[in-house]
Amino acid sequence: MSYRLQRMPVAAPSVLFAARVLSVILALLTAAVVLALSGKDPVALGGKVLSSTFGSSFGLEDLSLLFSPLLYCGLAVAVGLRIGAWNIGAEGQFNLGAFAATGVALFVPGPTWLLVPLMALTGMAGGALWILIPTLAKAYADVSELITTLLMNFVALLLVYWVATGPWLDPSGMALATTARLSVSVPYVWGIVHWGLPVALMLAIGLAVMFAYTRWGYEVRIGGGNPGAAAYAGMPVQRHVIIVMLMSGAIAGLGGMMEVAGTVGRLQGGISNNYGYLGIMVAVLARAAPLGVIATAFFMAVILNGGIVLQSQGLTTHTVLAVTGLILFYAAIADEVARYRLIPTTGKVTPKGAR
Amino acid sequence: MDILAGLIQTAFLAGGVLALAALGEVLAERVGVVNLGVEGLIALGAMSAVATVVVTPHPWLGFLVAMGVGLIAGMIFATATVIIRANQVLCGLALTYMGMGLAATLGKPISGSPAPATFQDIHIPILSDLPFFGRAFFSHSLLVYLIFLVLPVALQVLMFHTRHGLNMRAVGENPAAADAAGISVMKMRFWYVSFGAALAAGAGGYLTLVFVPSWSEGVVAGRGWIAVALVIFAGFRPINAVLAGLLFGFVTALGFVGQAHNWPIASSILSMLPYLGTMALMIVPVLAWQRMRRLMAAPEGLTTPYFRDQR
Repeated sequence: MSYRLQRMPVAAPSVLFAARVLSVILALLTAAVVLALSGKDPVALGGKVLSSTFGSSFGLEDLSLLFSPLLYCGLAVAVGLRIGAWNIGAEGQFNLGAFAATGVALFVPGPTWLLVPLMALTGMAGGALWILIPTLAKAYADVSELITTLLMNFVALLLVYWVATGPWLDPSGMALATTARLSVSVPYVWGIVHWGLPVALMLAIGLAVMFAYTRWGYEVRIGGGNPGAAAYAGMPVQRHVIIVMLMSGAIAGLGGMMEVAGTVGRLQGGISNNYGYLGIMVAVLARAAPLGVIATAFFMAVILNGGIVLQSQGLTTHTVLAVTGLILFYAAIADEVARYRLIPTTGKVTPKGAR
Repeated sequence: MDILAGLIQTAFLAGGVLALAALGEVLAERVGVVNLGVEGLIALGAMSAVATVVVTPHPWLGFLVAMGVGLIAGMIFATATVIIRANQVLCGLALTYMGMGLAATLGKPISGSPAPATFQDIHIPILSDLPFFGRAFFSHSLLVYLIFLVLPVALQVLMFHTRHGLNMRAVGENPAAADAAGISVMKMRFWYVSFGAALAAGAGGYLTLVFVPSWSEGVVAGRGWIAVALVIFAGFRPINAVLAGLLFGFVTALGFVGQAHNWPIASSILSMLPYLGTMALMIVPVLAWQRMRRLMAAPEGLTTPYFRDQR
């Protein structure tokens, strides 16, 4: 009896999950081999990463501070993917959220209980505004959002860099390329971990519920999976595309607000720290499921924290980007390979009970 | 007049990166594969070109090494997208991340220091001495003429005036029909995607050996993404792609001139021009020239993997 490979239209979720896990393991193994070849001990380095991350409450607090922005950006990208839109611009929307929130903190006087929600709202508005043009271009002119959202990233980075070194530069003269320390900050929940993290977790759960149990969520899923069929069934696909993409931008913007008002405390160039780009991987690995994003964002936070630990070993933070790319690459291949089944070819087909 | 001559000169210099990368992307997209890894390929090429001239001071060798690195990276990408037929968007993003991360990691020792050998401008008798035109058009390195004259014309002829070019476009438009006509879809896609990647990495080599003679992490600055956008704007045609690259070189040059002449605009704002300009070029033509749409359309089979048993 011989076998042949048969490609299935869809892969079973369990097989897909296994393929994802395998691709992550393979990527880490590849990185380990490269490290070993360059004369470093990957096992010792891995142990160092794990012990400095999970070994102390400081390590866990640092981890949480990385976890939170990755959650926002991962959720932003995941929400977009649900309607079939690639939001590669979470990085820029994150910056704009931080920028808008900083504007409120610097120029609007008021008590913390009023200002923090106001900053959150302006942050979300900033993020949504930053994806508005790509959204309208996609919805009405069929312009690929992939490139337009990405181009906006560079504009946002330059904008933040400009205000932080120019008009909003710290007037005290103490800092070179940042704004003054914000007078209000997001309250802490545990150590140096602020409300940004619990809010992100609640957001993930809320989104999961919305996608699973509401009519809106159902229509978005169908509209993303098969826009033609959704339109034929009378669903307002175009409206869903616009709303979902603006939501995606708003979520990333909220992440930026939490980062500047909770973690960093000042607006500075490069505040987004590649979170937007890493968020793409977070969302893809989670297959755009909001609850899955919690798991993959945590995993990504560990990797990112590992990168920071390894900086003292002569590696750059960009090494993390390379490893992220490797994971994404293997995951893309694994997705396709998972569709294949080994089918026995017996020569002639004998139906059951024919004999 | 002097400012204008300088502007045009810089436009060629800056536009060369975009033009070469866009030519590579035209090759890949014409056979039906969208390669979003251009940004990473430029980074890899830019880093390996400088690393090469640090070892041996031969700019041509640096450029060839950059293209070689791009060819290998392109073959890895093509293996995933053409042979295994994995999602092209994901693989492209992955290639961008890997390229940028790897280039930054490996290029750390040479980051920021000037390239010890670069391409020199060649002096053409009489032409280079012309007032205005001499400076604007005839004081460039050999690579500039290669990118703006030789390569686009050669590729345009290959694609639109030879049988091979017809086969190539058939693979991008309708792979099933091409397959039925006896054209090897896999082979065509694999090699043109790989060659395209080699050109993109070559654009990186051009970046660090002609335009900005030094490697640092931020040196690519989104040029790969602009190149991908230009291909759409150029209607997937080599000569148009190069002209679009030149146009964007001009926009970039405008920013430089503004800085040099102390225009009352912050340099960060001027640096936004190429990105905003690209946005405009992606959106405005779609709205303005409805008639051109069919003529400038993307290949029908773009981003769709080809499965022989499902045709």
